[in-house]
Amino acid sequence: MAQTNNATLVRREIITRLSKLYAEGRLEDIDRIPLEMAPRYGDSNSSRCCVHKTRAIIRYRIMALLGYNVADETDELESLYSYAVRSLSGADRGNGVLTVVDEACTSCVKSNYTVSNICRGCLAAHCMVTCPKDAITMVNGQAKINPDKCVNCGLCQKVCPYHAIIYVPIPCEESCPVKAIYRNEHGIEEIDYDKCIHCGKCMVACPFGAIMYRSQLIHVLHRILNDDKPVVAMLAPAVCGQFKANYKTVTKAVLEMGFSDVFEVAAGAVMTAKHEAEELAERLESGSQYMTTSCCPAWVEMAEKHLPQLKPSVSDTWSPMRYTAALAREKYPDATLVFIGPCVAKQAEAMKYEGVDFVMTFEELGSMMVALNVDLQNIEPEPENEVLHERVFAGSAGVMDSVGNYYHGPALKPLVINGLDKKNIASLRRIATGKHDYNMIEVMACEGGCLSGPGSISTPDVARKLFNTQAGVTIEQVAEV
Amino acid sequence: MRINTLKRFTLTLFNQDMEKKVELEICLGTLCFIMGGSAFEMISESLPEDLMGKVLVKGMNCPGYCNMPKYGRAPFVKVNGELIAEANIQKVIAKMREEVYHGANK
Repeated sequence: MAQTNNATLVRREIITRLSKLYAEGRLEDIDRIPLEMAPRYGDSNSSRCCVHKTRAIIRYRIMALLGYNVADETDELESLYSYAVRSLSGADRGNGVLTVVDEACTSCVKSNYTVSNICRGCLAAHCMVTCPKDAITMVNGQAKINPDKCVNCGLCQKVCPYHAIIYVPIPCEESCPVKAIYRNEHGIEEIDYDKCIHCGKCMVACPFGAIMYRSQLIHVLHRILNDDKPVVAMLAPAVCGQFKANYKTVTKAVLEMGFSDVFEVAAGAVMTAKHEAEELAERLESGSQYMTTSCCPAWVEMAEKHLPQLKPSVSDTWSPMRYTAALAREKYPDATLVFIGPCVAKQAEAMKYEGVDFVMTFEELGSMMVALNVDLQNIEPEPENEVLHERVFAGSAGVMDSVGNYYHGPALKPLVINGLDKKNIASLRRIATGKHDYNMIEVMACEGGCLSGPGSISTPDVARKLFNTQAGVTIEQVAEV
Repeated sequence: MRINTLKRFTLTLFNQDMEKKVELEICLGTLCFIMGGSAFEMISESLPEDLMGKVLVKGMNCPGYCNMPKYGRAPFVKVNGELIAEANIQKVIAKMREEVYHGANK
């Protein structure tokens, strides 16, 4: 879920600066961004050792925002301008949506367990005796864990009578639901793209902002400002919870930014709901026990990569994004189609199928508005008379609700999996065994649904509040099961 | 007797109404909003008990402080007219408390 902290804000500032430079035709100044953001005699209130490190990190952040995997750097002296030019000329982008800015990764702690100063260096030394790897020694009257030997089993913590041994989590690893991020031999976090489901939880969790999504922003700007072909924006339902403006008003701002037309993804969601309802009825009648939803791309990848037993249960119905793209393509056959949503995984979905050219996050949309001098406060609010009920796709249980509206078949026994955390993944594994009587299962990777997506502008509580006052439909918080 | 009670009652009401509230103005510009200002959407839910009913929340059209580095960084709010840069809910609550207990709204 999106958070507003300094790591997020630095990313937004860079996105804004980058967009502004491009819009003003001054892309060649891109190598100055790190210097401007970290001036030599700026405030010393930095979490880094020196201004040079801060600048280096900003440089790599820009690389990610130009669409690169930071690990693909071959020449440290290559200028950002050169990267930008290469990116625009369509250099091969390789694998993965998330990238680790290795300079920013502080490689947290070497071992998850550490001895605090509560340790009395007791005679019994339960920790030393218990440790199966001989990793603990007494140094200056206190126990000390040798991280090279420690295997993070936690036995020492359990046996210490003083509770002197503490567990220090590594935020990104802790947040990853599929163990796709791990420390490499240099102690730096690395993402295993064969396991990654692009949920974006590590990006939100890292307190140093060391994990970033590889942006397609510059391509979108390029198409808007320098291409004759129409550029069409497709706004995900969660858009109603992003700004202090209703959907129609945001649409006006998006058009003012230079997009040729705007499509509401909730229209695609109507088609998803109808097809999914039909598919469910068919599947149940032909003897399937249950079906799971297919709108959340992180969930679909989770099933493909980690829960093969559940893969056949995933609905074949297209996601709202794909249906909306088909609608937009019908009207604008040669347009550039840009999906704008709160999601990181949508970029991976868009690369997997034909139809959507680029994916942007809402935070990029907001930053781009600022860079292009489009301010929502100056746009005349426009009332909405009729709204699509399918806007509720933005929240957990919304898909279920919509599918239920179109469904005709055996009695619906719904289950909503609200967020892919460890507990819910365990539930999904139990579901795979078939010992339950649910027949329709909605899965959302983000707790609370898309309104809590990692690319949102505000925190989930703010997003829900804005959505419920502006969308014309309401989303309730899903209760803990 | 009854008239006096009524008089007292209306007076209290009148006084309550006249009691000056702390004025909190939140910048409505998109830059402030994306740089953390969106958190102020929850200000009424986040007010501590001692400030409840003592704050008047308003929006202000972007006065352009974000374009002038000397004012600091977004998001901007004003408490009783005084500008706060890099505002967040905790910072603003502290400032409003100061106004209520030691400042203009004492």
